Amino acid sequence: MMTIILAATEQAGPLETIQKTFGLSAPFFIAQVINFFLVIFVLKKFAFGPIQKMLEERRGRIAEGEAKLKQIEQQLADSERNTAAAIAKANEDAARLINEAKTSAAALSEQKAQEAIATAQQILAKAEAAALAERAAIKAELKQEFGRLVTATTAQVTGKVLTSDDQSRINQEALASVEA
Amino acid sequence: MIRRSIFPIFFALLCAATPVRAAEEGHEAPVAAVEHDAHATPAHGEAAGADEHGAAAAEHHAEGGHHALPLDAPRLSDSLPINNSMIMVWLAVGVIVLFARIATKKMSLVPQGVQNFAEWAVESLYDFLSSLMGKHLATRTFWFFGTIFFFILVNNYMGLIPGVGTVGWKDAHGHMVAPLLRGANADINMTAAMAFTFAILWFYWAITENGIKGFIAHIFAPKGTFTGVMAAMMIPIFLFVGVLEVISIMIRPVALTFRLLGNIYGGEQTLEALMGLVPEKLAFLPALPFCFMELLVGFVQALVFTLLCAIFLKLICDHGDHDHAEEGHH
Repeated sequence: MMTIILAATEQAGPLETIQKTFGLSAPFFIAQVINFFLVIFVLKKFAFGPIQKMLEERRGRIAEGEAKLKQIEQQLADSERNTAAAIAKANEDAARLINEAKTSAAALSEQKAQEAIATAQQILAKAEAAALAERAAIKAELKQEFGRLVTATTAQVTGKVLTSDDQSRINQEALASVEA
Repeated sequence: MIRRSIFPIFFALLCAATPVRAAEEGHEAPVAAVEHDAHATPAHGEAAGADEHGAAAAEHHAEGGHHALPLDAPRLSDSLPINNSMIMVWLAVGVIVLFARIATKKMSLVPQGVQNFAEWAVESLYDFLSSLMGKHLATRTFWFFGTIFFFILVNNYMGLIPGVGTVGWKDAHGHMVAPLLRGANADINMTAAMAFTFAILWFYWAITENGIKGFIAHIFAPKGTFTGVMAAMMIPIFLFVGVLEVISIMIRPVALTFRLLGNIYGGEQTLEALMGLVPEKLAFLPALPFCFMELLVGFVQALVFTLLCAIFLKLICDHGDHDHAEEGHH
């Protein structure tokens, strides 16, 4: 090998030596350049193109998924915050309602108690009035009966017919003595 | 599905094996192959190089050595510039596209099986390049770097398949004259095509990223803040550094070319030499451990080529403020 290279170097210049020794030639070099460009074209179209497209698509999907995940996390945080706020508001409302109910119940209870007291007092007053009226009626009836009895007794004892003035006077005297 | 994907590879190898049988049975070899036969009379100028190669190989055999892999890839067609490494390029592209078609046939958002592996491979490389060049440059240039890495890797591994380099047209003595297949990266035209394509794209990306003024300033302008006499002293120094940088830039594709070629050709040559140490029926034995090493070398070389291209691009597109701002964003 070295013999061939040395022999070639002695006969020609360095470039010529390279050409002769290594078989470098313009037509083959150009053919290989064309070949190489064809290789690039074919591999780009059939190998790297589809694979890179799929990789890009997957990267896009992953990025989209991550963005969605962030969005969901944000929504979850918002939702949790809203829920917490709603619960707090509901608690507050419930407490307020309970307080209002308590206040209302107390007021109503008081009102009802007062109404009951008033009603009872009315009933009592009516009863008293009725009792008084009844008593007065009984008393009048009793007076009348007592007067009649006294008059009758007096008429029987005295044996005379009493006038109405007598009857009235005897009744009044009898009643006055009873009441005294 | 797996059977369908493997079948074309076996079919290709079967087709590749056919010329050997034809040569062994004494049939006439294809015209282009005959050109490489050491014993054939050169018919025209193009055959002269091949004849020299054949003569060298015959000389080597005469010295009693094992057949060595020629540095130049033999031409397979009279009318078109097609050599055996190009066949390998097409096969490698076929394999990659076939794999990609299987992986992307029923794509789903939850990847499984082959799709999962393909996505893992592509995404790992993309993430690696992003960490190296930044997301913007990686996204913009991934079509190139992805192609470079997987293309070199698959070619390097396909070069290790038994039959590559040993299946082809043989001469009357049974010596290999023109193998049908050759590791694509063991051909300088292929490695140079990749390296110089990168160099052109590199200029394009650098200029579109920084502008022509920024591109020139990046190479020649003084780095740092200098005033007064210091500035006057620094300008010629940085101009000189810029000239060195230009030389460095011009050398880079050449270095990329020969680094990949040297490693892959060297590996194949080592395997050839090791196989020649023992009788033909046991030839695989000494080469077998080195095949595993070549698997590692194949991966490392694909990575090194891609990595160096990415670093060169990053260095030329590097404009500090923007990157810091970009990092700040991330």
